[in-house]
Amino acid sequence: MIKLGKNIVEVTGLKKRYKDFEAVKGVDLQVEEGEIFGFLGPNGAGKSTTINMLSTIIKPSDGIAKINGYDNVKERDDVRASIGLIFQESTLDEKLTANENLMLHCKFYNVPKEKREDRIQEVLEIVDLSENRSKIVETFSGGMKRRLEIARGLLHYPRVLFLDEPTVGLDPQTRNHIWEYILKLKEKAGITIFLTTHYMDEAEICDRIAVMDGGKIIALDSPEQLKSDVGGDIIEIATTDNQQAKQKIEDTYQTTVNESSEGKLSFQVKEGSTFLVEFVKNFDIPITTVNLRRPTLNDVFLQLTGREIREETASKHERNKQSMRGGR
Amino acid sequence: MEGIYAIWQRDIIKFFRDRARLIGSFAMPFMFLILFGSGMSGAMSSMIGGSNAAGPLADFDFVEFMFPGIIGMTVFNTAIFSALSVVQDKEFGYMREILVSPMSRTTIAIGKVLGGSTIAVIQGLMMLIFVPFIGVSISFMMVIKLIPVMFLVAFAISSIGLLIASSLKTSQGFQMVVQILIFPMLFLSGALFPLNGMPAWMDFIVKINPLTYSVDMFKKIILQPDQMAPALREAMGLDLSVFNHVITFSQEILVVVAISAVFVVLATLKFSRSEG
Ligand SMILES: Nc1ncnc2c1ncn2[C@@H]1O[C@H](COP(=O)(O)OP(=O)(O)OP(=O)(O)O)[C@@H](O)[C@H]1O
Ligand SMILES: [Mg+2]
Repeated sequence: MIKLGKNIVEVTGLKKRYKDFEAVKGVDLQVEEGEIFGFLGPNGAGKSTTINMLSTIIKPSDGIAKINGYDNVKERDDVRASIGLIFQESTLDEKLTANENLMLHCKFYNVPKEKREDRIQEVLEIVDLSENRSKIVETFSGGMKRRLEIARGLLHYPRVLFLDEPTVGLDPQTRNHIWEYILKLKEKAGITIFLTTHYMDEAEICDRIAVMDGGKIIALDSPEQLKSDVGGDIIEIATTDNQQAKQKIEDTYQTTVNESSEGKLSFQVKEGSTFLVEFVKNFDIPITTVNLRRPTLNDVFLQLTGREIREETASKHERNKQSMRGGR
Repeated sequence: MEGIYAIWQRDIIKFFRDRARLIGSFAMPFMFLILFGSGMSGAMSSMIGGSNAAGPLADFDFVEFMFPGIIGMTVFNTAIFSALSVVQDKEFGYMREILVSPMSRTTIAIGKVLGGSTIAVIQGLMMLIFVPFIGVSISFMMVIKLIPVMFLVAFAISSIGLLIASSLKTSQGFQMVVQILIFPMLFLSGALFPLNGMPAWMDFIVKINPLTYSVDMFKKIILQPDQMAPALREAMGLDLSVFNHVITFSQEILVVVAISAVFVVLATLKFSRSEG
């Protein structure tokens, strides 16, 4: 199944149109074997749409995507056999046991009969669910269900695992666990992992990130590189009069100041620590808090688009989706 | 091939796991047989045979008459509602797990139709539990004959169900369409009362109703009309004829096979084209 050549995913000019709306406006990228590649972007950026095209769920309107050397449209079934998929929404059969869900998957994907038992044990071990093998999935917690889905996605030994928002709607502790499993996967199975997220801390774990907004990739690099491209440090302040302060900083230092929802002003400077001393000394509007920090991926996004990714609203939105689904 | 088996197997496992559905499936036939059947039997007998009937018409027993119809109704309801699982899989997301696998859409569609048909046969056979209470005599040979006929009927109706399910996105929508379809099909099939002396337009509906032929096959197996007095046979509406030609058992099989073939193809095409 393994085709040699270092790029396991190759995409050129990929587009998706829905009637008069273009959800993905031309995406180009290459992903190397064994890489963890992330799509980071706000709601509606086109992350799911892109991942759905790469995983053959929807047909691209234009452009070419190749996975494991196979064309996504012309050799769809070969692509499907080479990939594992974990969707943003759960796709387990909750009336069945974990074992039944896994066994059916083996049959759908033609995993040889004599290998099924070993594989099921193996993937359950990776996600720590061996004890729960014969329990009905309905009785699982959200995190257990997610882990079971990841295990199921691995059963047919995919070359590339696609994860659309793998940790959405989960508590921080469970999120960390899921990440441990994902990293373990990379080490143990050497598979390529392709994921989307709008959590900054998750994006940090990736080898490379494509920042997506409005259907386009607006930056693509390693998290470190992206952050150092911002240049310098970030100063965050709160004042008694943010409006006036914003105006003043922009006029004095010829820079753009962003105001966050929590009422903080942030802007970037070259030499943070030396700048800060002078700045506080000379600034005549009373400052209530001040903070100097290294840029985060949020700053990267802020600099590229002038907007924040808005983790809060995004996760709230997701939780709604989650609870609607929970109501079955 | 294994894909078909897997899709089928999932439906069977879920059927036996769902106790409420299993028990609930007895409710409707039970009510029809006991409340409707026994309640109406006096009225029916006097309508057919006159209040103090003599001769062959005195043998008319309404509950016995209804029994093959009840089996038909059960097979029909179960088969058509089995396609509800297709809509539910879309709603609950499992359909994506199925659709993104390397299995072909035809495999999935056939697996679903076979799953629905099998469950319908099992439910139909479960109706035989009523036999001792209603005084029909059913031989082992009859049961052996019933099974393939039930399966054939169920296959046709499951295909119709899948065709409807592939065109709809919500369970509510599916249930509404099926309810609207079930009643005329059931009432104009001869399952619940003899269809004699109907207006021409109604008679036409009876003759294009696939259920008419299905129910008639069950009647031919269970009631054995060829051993009845002609007058009784006629009163019970057992001389189903098309264009003044009394239709035989083998011809009925052909009709249902043809209906199955048409609808399984239509359903598979529709299912293959529907967006996951
Ligand atoms: N089937 C569809 N028909 C029309 N528009 C669609 C369809 N699917 C997605 N879109 C639109 O395409 C855009 C991108 O959606 P997509 O689901 O890819 O975003 P996303 O980046 O995954 O967002 P989220 O973080 O909310 O998951 C959105 O504006 C969405 O409304
Ligand atoms: Mg998405």
